[in-house]
Amino acid sequence: MAIIELQQLSKSYWVYQKREGVRASLRSLFRRDYRAVHAVRGIDLTVEQGEFVAFLGPNGAGKTTTLKLLSGVLTPTAGQARVMQHVPWKRENAYRRRFALVMGQKNQLWWDLPAQESFRLHQHIYRIDRAQFRQTLDELTVLLGVTKLLQQPVRELSLGERMKMELIAALLHSPEVLFLDEPTIGLDVVAQHNIQRFLKYYQQKRRITILLTSHYMKDVSALCKRVVIIADGRIHYDGSLSGIVDRFSGHKIVTLQLAEGQDPTHLDRFGSVVEVEPPKARLRVERRRVPAVMAALLNAYAVEDVAVEDPPLEEVIAEVFLQADDAAAAAATAALPAGPR
Amino acid sequence: MRMSRSYLQVLLTFARNSFVRDTMFRTNFVLECVSSVSWTLMNVGFYLIVFHYTPLIGPESGWGKHQFFVFLGTTWLINSLVQTFFMTNADDYSELIRTGNLDFALLKPIDTQFLVSFQKVDWSALSNFFAGLILLAVSLGHLCTRPEHPLVITPWAVALYVVYVLCGVAILYSLMIALASTSIWLGRNQTLYDFWFYITNFARYPMEIYNRGWGVPLWVLFTFVVPVLVVVNVPARILAQPLYPERSLGWPLAAFALAATVASLAASRWVFQRALRSYRSASS
Repeated sequence: MAIIELQQLSKSYWVYQKREGVRASLRSLFRRDYRAVHAVRGIDLTVEQGEFVAFLGPNGAGKTTTLKLLSGVLTPTAGQARVMQHVPWKRENAYRRRFALVMGQKNQLWWDLPAQESFRLHQHIYRIDRAQFRQTLDELTVLLGVTKLLQQPVRELSLGERMKMELIAALLHSPEVLFLDEPTIGLDVVAQHNIQRFLKYYQQKRRITILLTSHYMKDVSALCKRVVIIADGRIHYDGSLSGIVDRFSGHKIVTLQLAEGQDPTHLDRFGSVVEVEPPKARLRVERRRVPAVMAALLNAYAVEDVAVEDPPLEEVIAEVFLQADDAAAAAATAALPAGPR
Repeated sequence: MRMSRSYLQVLLTFARNSFVRDTMFRTNFVLECVSSVSWTLMNVGFYLIVFHYTPLIGPESGWGKHQFFVFLGTTWLINSLVQTFFMTNADDYSELIRTGNLDFALLKPIDTQFLVSFQKVDWSALSNFFAGLILLAVSLGHLCTRPEHPLVITPWAVALYVVYVLCGVAILYSLMIALASTSIWLGRNQTLYDFWFYITNFARYPMEIYNRGWGVPLWVLFTFVVPVLVVVNVPARILAQPLYPERSLGWPLAAFALAATVASLAASRWVFQRALRSYRSASS
């Protein structure tokens, strides 16, 4: 059953352009220049109940804006969205009781007080039954290993501990849909791993639907089967993580370990050379030419070991982002009014 | 019923959390109390000097020293209630808008205006509330024991006084929250404290002083457009009764004060909701 449905969802707004210098500042008191920003441009998306979907995209791609539209913080310029049959920007309490949004760069807990006090406030705001509240809180604090930190003021917690508390605050009312906006940003590897492990366990146990944005590929590969690539406000890919490589990379990486005495020069006949560190060499070879190139290589050199792999995922995704950026720049240039350029 | 109980619980938790936070920084808390009360005492000193030179504020107005101190005590009660419950929140609201942290308030299944308006309670500002009560008690004591026409205060007058003090708080709150809401359109609005100072400056004197010359347009403006003149004047008149034994408060003014309260609350609600629709958050 589709739990989230977006149709042609768009969000644009005007941003004030501040020019440099005192003269420009004086001028701006009377006349201001604005630029239209199209943060989200006609997104269509359907998410089924129980899915864990990752939004990948460069900064400013529209990922966070999409999450804010889905949580009703923002009202769209055009298009429609339904989450659990609710229109998010109507901000109905019945909807707000059923989802949560966690933002890695923002803090919703009372800064000077122990997290426990903020949790109690959430209990009253969400009208959580006392016994239920106690049970959920105990379960979450044990799972995240923060039971001893409940009495410590939030400002004295480490970033990783604070993020765990933010997650607890978001999950106390047992939301059916969870929006996570870069929940592991700035965390060290261990803290990242802990949060990934917790999210994986919690999602599988409760079968909730999660939409996650992250710049860490490890978050994505550890948690999500489905990946949506957003760039320049549009969806460029929607499918499995491994499918990204098939779809966007026309190359494979061939790693050779040559036998002693073999000269690794002239390898560029077979593909583009990524690196040569005798006796090892790495080549980038067009996918469809791999069988022929392998045969030719084995014929030309004495090879001790060989590996044919997909290029690293980060590299492929970076390429997709770059292509999207170029396309956006080209579209912007084409949209400029005619005249001297 | 369940809903109002839940709102009350949230309100009590806000008050409790604010108290816990204030006591964590106890020296700051004590200093804030001391500075508020010192300012208040200086105020009394200033008006004692004024009444050294004149027996009345405004000829034939009936606002003698003790009547005026009832007025001043009422000003403190209302101001301290506004400062305790709303001033910090209205000020924080502008900041929530600018930083995008209003996002969290919009996610909660509770009225956003309620959440934003009551989030913090500035307990130290309540010190002036007690100072106001003391000043009221002392001044009323003088008025009730004076040899000629000793003032009689009925329970009915006390009940009405409480209602109109709350009306005054509601009018000032409405002005503040509406002004703070404009931050959504303006991006930043730090004029709140200035505004508070200007407004309370006009509201802190009996309305008779605006009866002449240039005062008349000010009286019209601050009674009918921005109704701050009724905030203190109406409740203070009920208790101080400056023209006693004649009646000091006409029913039209009392009815107008009630209408102004309802209109102010409705107008501020409208501005708040309208502004929320234009909220565009801030960068992640």
